[in-house]
Amino acid sequence: MDCNEAKRLIEPYLDGELDRAEARALEAHVDGCAECQAVLTQLGQLRHAVRTEAPRYTAPASLRERIREARVEQPARRIAPRRVPAWWRLAAACFFAFIAGSVVTLTWHPGAGRDQVVNDLFASHWRALAANSPVDVVSSDRHTVRPWFAGKLPQAPLVRDFAEQGFPLVGGRIDYAGAQRVPVLVYRHDKHLIDVYLLPESTPAVSSAHREGYSLVWGTLDDQPTAIVSDLDGAELARFKALLDAAR
Amino acid sequence: MTSTATVSWVSELAQEHLDAAYNLGRWLLGNEHDAADAVHDAFLRAARSAHTYAGGNARAWWLAIVRNSCLAALNARRREQPRAHVVADEPVDPGTTEASAQAAERGRLIEKHLSALPVEFREVVILREIEDLSYREIADVLAVPIGTVMSRLARGRAHLQKSLAASPEGR
Repeated sequence: MDCNEAKRLIEPYLDGELDRAEARALEAHVDGCAECQAVLTQLGQLRHAVRTEAPRYTAPASLRERIREARVEQPARRIAPRRVPAWWRLAAACFFAFIAGSVVTLTWHPGAGRDQVVNDLFASHWRALAANSPVDVVSSDRHTVRPWFAGKLPQAPLVRDFAEQGFPLVGGRIDYAGAQRVPVLVYRHDKHLIDVYLLPESTPAVSSAHREGYSLVWGTLDDQPTAIVSDLDGAELARFKALLDAAR
Repeated sequence: MTSTATVSWVSELAQEHLDAAYNLGRWLLGNEHDAADAVHDAFLRAARSAHTYAGGNARAWWLAIVRNSCLAALNARRREQPRAHVVADEPVDPGTTEASAQAAERGRLIEKHLSALPVEFREVVILREIEDLSYREIADVLAVPIGTVMSRLARGRAHLQKSLAASPEGR
């Protein structure tokens, strides 16, 4: 690693945005480079100063009261929406369906939430595809991906790579499926991306679903319920699910 | 769709992240009154436009609305009083012991220089350092690519370092 690359990585490093391998490589460079060490130290001091000394203002009680008491008038009719992507409309429609169908809380409800879980997972997958990168930690090494999760979630998931079987691990991210933060393992097969959502035990199991060329199937990884979302064809998806189900 | 359910969902969301919203507003607008108004306005906007929420990070969705509401307030302020000086609230005096006086002094120094940063840099620094949002979340709030978040953060920090180093009290 040269100084240019190191300097580019110092801020993401301090911000906790590097995976472990990148962080190690940067640390190795900084250990032997006084100049980059000085940059790291100064930025670290600045960061510490802002975090400890800049005030975080808390909302006055009067504002809290205003929000709690607010009465919102609904517009009578909405003007026809601008051109929005189909999945966006679908997701919005699903959101309203959920609002209408249940008392709103920020957790998943077995039963009432079944379709919602499916909708949330499709929405999450499409959102990830639309983002710059479908992963937050890029690594084909499960020994990198698991510790990355460990720092961010109460329980790090089991991470397995299936490169030999044609499904290499690309990385991982933490995503929102509904209001739930769940770990997602991302695999690749040819040009297809596969998201594996590791779900809470309480997630209701439902049958597989298909939307706009994408499929969702349910599986398990080391007895934890998972949802696999991808545009893989049925046979390949079944093969991947079998691998995942068998992994320990 | 029942509108009351939507409103109560938005209301819960807003109340859960009210400090984050207010803190952002307070840093962008510089005083309590404008910040509270902007957050209240953001809540009304959020309740009316809940249909734009397509799943995903609800906090980022809410903070994006708060930010837009603050930027609208800043624009209105510029239009109405192009030369007026905005009245900033006096920093709160937390106490009188020597240690806390020193801490308060350092806090005021950071606050002064952070407040002087251009808005586009200030907001990313606030969201990252004070609200502890990830790059991805900040990108969602600002509706810009992650690369833009990184470069603004880097420039904001460089600005801040420079102005702190140049300030006589900062030495």
